[in-house]
Amino acid sequence: MNNRTIPTEIERFDLSARVQHVIMFTTFLLLSFTGWGLKYAYQDPSSAWISFWGGAKMAGLIHRVAGITMLLDFIYHQFYLINQYRKGGMRPTLIPMPKDVVDAFHNFMFFFGLRKERPYFGKFNYMQKFDYWAVYWGMFIIGASGFFLAFPVTVSTLFPMWSIQWIWDVVIAMHSDEALLAIVFILIFHFYNEHLRSEVFPMNWMWLTGKMSIDQLKHHHPAEYDHLFGDKSGKKQ
Amino acid sequence: MRNWLNAVSLFLFTLLLAPSAQAAADAATCLGCHGSMEGAVKVDQERFSKSVHGGMNDCTMCHLALKGAQHQGLSDARPDKTVADLAAAIAAKSGSNAVAQAACVNCHSDTYQTYKASVHGQNVIVKKSADGPVCTDCHGSPHYIQSKSSKESSVNHFTVVETCGKCHEEKFMSEKYGFSTHVMERYKESFHGRKLRVGHPGAPSCASCHGSHDVKSAKDPSSPVSAANKITTCAKCHSGATEKFVAAITHKPMHPIAHWTELALIVLTMSVFAFICIHVLLDIFADIRERLFRKGDKHE
Repeated sequence: MNNRTIPTEIERFDLSARVQHVIMFTTFLLLSFTGWGLKYAYQDPSSAWISFWGGAKMAGLIHRVAGITMLLDFIYHQFYLINQYRKGGMRPTLIPMPKDVVDAFHNFMFFFGLRKERPYFGKFNYMQKFDYWAVYWGMFIIGASGFFLAFPVTVSTLFPMWSIQWIWDVVIAMHSDEALLAIVFILIFHFYNEHLRSEVFPMNWMWLTGKMSIDQLKHHHPAEYDHLFGDKSGKKQ
Repeated sequence: MRNWLNAVSLFLFTLLLAPSAQAAADAATCLGCHGSMEGAVKVDQERFSKSVHGGMNDCTMCHLALKGAQHQGLSDARPDKTVADLAAAIAAKSGSNAVAQAACVNCHSDTYQTYKASVHGQNVIVKKSADGPVCTDCHGSPHYIQSKSSKESSVNHFTVVETCGKCHEEKFMSEKYGFSTHVMERYKESFHGRKLRVGHPGAPSCASCHGSHDVKSAKDPSSPVSAANKITTCAKCHSGATEKFVAAITHKPMHPIAHWTELALIVLTMSVFAFICIHVLLDIFADIRERLFRKGDKHE
C-alpha cells in the first residue's frame, strides 16, 4: 500500500450516491416549504406562502409526491448499501463507534483550547455520522407518520381501539415536531458544516464532484488517509 | 335665449334628483336621514346598495310598525302573526329591534322552519334564551349581508368558523350547554382547521359536518355527527370510513398521552437545537482562534 503513488484527490461519493443526495435534498426542500405553511397556518404570511405554491390543494399534492419520492429514494438507498456490501467495497465507516464519543469529547477539548489538534477522525467524523443517521430517524418518524396521515382511513384499522383517543395527535406531533427538528438541524448543522464554514463557503462541491482533495482528506480525515496511504503499521502521521 | 335654455335644463335636472313625493317610505327617503345619522340608527348607503338586499327599495318590508312622531305616516303595516310571535320570543334578546329582526321570516320562511327545528332555534324560540343566535348574529346586519359566495360574507366556507367561534369559543357556553371545552382550539389546530385556514376548498368548516340552519346537538340522533350518523358524515370525504376511524374526531381536549408525547418531542427538538447551536458556535470560535494564532500552519 505504501508503495502506491498518492493521487491528488479521491472519490468519496459515487454517481449513485450523488444522485440520491440530490433527490433527497430536492424533496426535503419541497416538503419543508409546503409543510411549513400548514404547520404555521395561523401565522399571517402562511396563506400567501401557500398561494405561492399554487394554493392549498397544489401544495398538498406537491407535499405528497415529494414525500413518496423521498421514501423511494430512502428505500433505494438500502438496496444501494446492500449492493455496495456485496461488491465488497464497503467498510463499516458510517457505523457509530465508541471512538466517536471519544472524538466528540476531544473535539470539545479542542474547541476550548485544551487540545492542540482536532481528533484523529476516520472517513466520516461523528458530526457526519450524526448527519447521516439523522436522516434515518427522520425517515422512520416523519416518513411513517406522514404515510399514516396520507391514508388515515386505511391506517386507522391498524390502531387498537383503546389508542384512538390519542394516537392521531401523537402521529401529528411526530410528523410536525420532528419535521421542525429536521429543518432546524439541516439549517444550522448541515448548512454550517457544508456551506458556511469558511473553508467550504459557498458550498462543499463534493455534492457535485464526489471528490475530495488529498490535502483535505489528510487534514480532516487523517485516520482514513493513513488507512489508504499510510504505512502498514497504521501509526499516526 | 341661452339663459332660458339653462333654466330649463337646470329645472329638469332638479326634477330628476328630487325625491318623489308619492313613495313616502322608499329607501331614498329613509336614507335621506339615516344615511347621515350616527350610531346604531345609521345605514351606510354605499354598503347597503352593494348588499344582497341593496335592490330592495322598501325599508318598511322589515321595519314594520315604525314608532315615533318623525315616522308618522311612513308605515302602517302591522307584523303578521308569525313575525309578531317570533318578535315576542326574541324580545328579551333583541329589545326594541325585535320586529325587524323577526321580519326576515317574511321572505325566508323555508330557512326559518329549518332554523326553528335546530338546536339554536329551539333554544331561542322555545326556551327564550338570550344565548342562541338569531339570523343577524351570524349573518350580520341585513343592510350589509353579502352573498355566501362573497369573500366578505361572515358565513362563507372560510369565515364561518370564526362566526361560530364567537359563541362556541366561550367557556361559559361549553359549561352551560355541555359541549366540549376547547372545541374551537381543537378544530383550529387540526388538519381540517389548518387546511381551511390556508384556503383549501375541500377542507371542512364547522358547517360541513354539523350543518348550519339545521344544526342539532350531537346528542340528538338526527344530528349528522350523532353516533348513528357520524360514519356517513365523515364518509362524505373519507370514503370507507369506519367506526374506528370516526372515533378519532371529537374536539375533546388533548389526551394526556398525546400531550406528554408532544412535550417529549418538543424537549428532544430543543435539546438537539441547543446542542447543534453550541457545537456550531464553538466550532466558529475555534476556527477564528486557529486562524489568528496558528498562521504558519500547513492547511488553510
